Amino acid sequence: MHELDEQLRELIPRLRRFALSLSRNASSADDLVQSTLERAITRWADKTVDGDLRAWLFSILYRQFLDAHRRTRRYARMLEFFTGRDDVQPSVERTVIAQSTLQAFDRLNSEQRALLLWVSVEGLSYKEVAQILDVPIGTVMSRLSRARQALRQLSDGEMTSPSLRILK
Amino acid sequence: MISLPPSERDLHAYVDQQLPESDRRVLETYLAAHPEVAAQVHAWQQDAHVLRAALSGALQQPANPALDPALIRQRIKQQSRRHFATAAVLLMAVSLGGLGGWQAREATQPPMLPMADAMQAYRLFAQDGVLPADYHAQGNATMQTWLDRYFNQAQRLPDLSQAGFTAVSGRLLSTEQGAAAMVLYEDRQGRHISFYIRPPGPENNFLPRGSRSADGLLAEYWSGGGYNYAMVSPQGLPTTPLLQF
Repeated sequence: MHELDEQLRELIPRLRRFALSLSRNASSADDLVQSTLERAITRWADKTVDGDLRAWLFSILYRQFLDAHRRTRRYARMLEFFTGRDDVQPSVERTVIAQSTLQAFDRLNSEQRALLLWVSVEGLSYKEVAQILDVPIGTVMSRLSRARQALRQLSDGEMTSPSLRILK
Repeated sequence: MISLPPSERDLHAYVDQQLPESDRRVLETYLAAHPEVAAQVHAWQQDAHVLRAALSGALQQPANPALDPALIRQRIKQQSRRHFATAAVLLMAVSLGGLGGWQAREATQPPMLPMADAMQAYRLFAQDGVLPADYHAQGNATMQTWLDRYFNQAQRLPDLSQAGFTAVSGRLLSTEQGAAAMVLYEDRQGRHISFYIRPPGPENNFLPRGSRSADGLLAEYWSGGGYNYAMVSPQGLPTTPLLQF
């Protein structure tokens, strides 16, 4: 009945993958996808910028993730304040030296993960990524360059300093 | 057009296949001649390739029915309906409260009877003689002139002379419905009949022709020409059938 629904349905696997790469947890990834779809459906009528639907959805999902992430961090800080200790300790798993590209990828920060997924995996143009992040194309390229270097170094096991391994 | 040696950005754009065809060929020629740069580019390409392969598995997750757009659309609709229902319930509570309050007010007060103010005015001015008249008439004609000063296109004052009543005085009154006037008729025995006129009020309560009696008074009332009217007389006055207007 809704032409949008059909298009959304086709993109759901990609949205779930992106959400998973950001949140690293299947159920919170699906929550993220669900709220993204809700937002997309309610905002569809107001959507003025036409362009790639996928890029638009990625940008909604990414913002939702950042918002949720900020909330979680605030919550963690609050928890820390009340319990007097940091409950968010790096797990043993997290401190294992990266052996594969995927593990290296998991160690990048969320923006670097998003960048590499958008560009290397999904094949979005630099322009589309610039629109999602709301930064100039040049900035996208230099951030992408740093993300690639980081991935390279992590894959080679060169960067093992704890400060870079501990994830938020 | 890219310049050689290529910038790092050009190399990334090459890896991401975002270079124009001509630039791509220029760069490929350059890379063939510069193995160390080519190795760097190859490593990036390799990383991207591995990443694509590694993440392709994540596309094959079993479907989650909760993510179906039609279902989500339905849920959004239900949610907004629920919000709407909540708002409606609130509104209803307020209205019922208001209505309940209104009904309670009516229950505690005597019900509003048609032209009760006309009867009240009659009691005050015709029976009790409270307050002097605003105007003393020298006959029906002058009385009509006085009334017309305050009410546009009011009905003509009834001629009650055959019953022995003549218009003697007029009073202006202020009522909840607006300015009213009462014209008093008197006969030789000092009995009174009143003619009462006022606007229908903000709610435009026009009346069907009717009559009612209370406390020994008879009120005949009707509407016409944008006003409500009443004739109030003591009950049992033989002139009542003469009041034809």
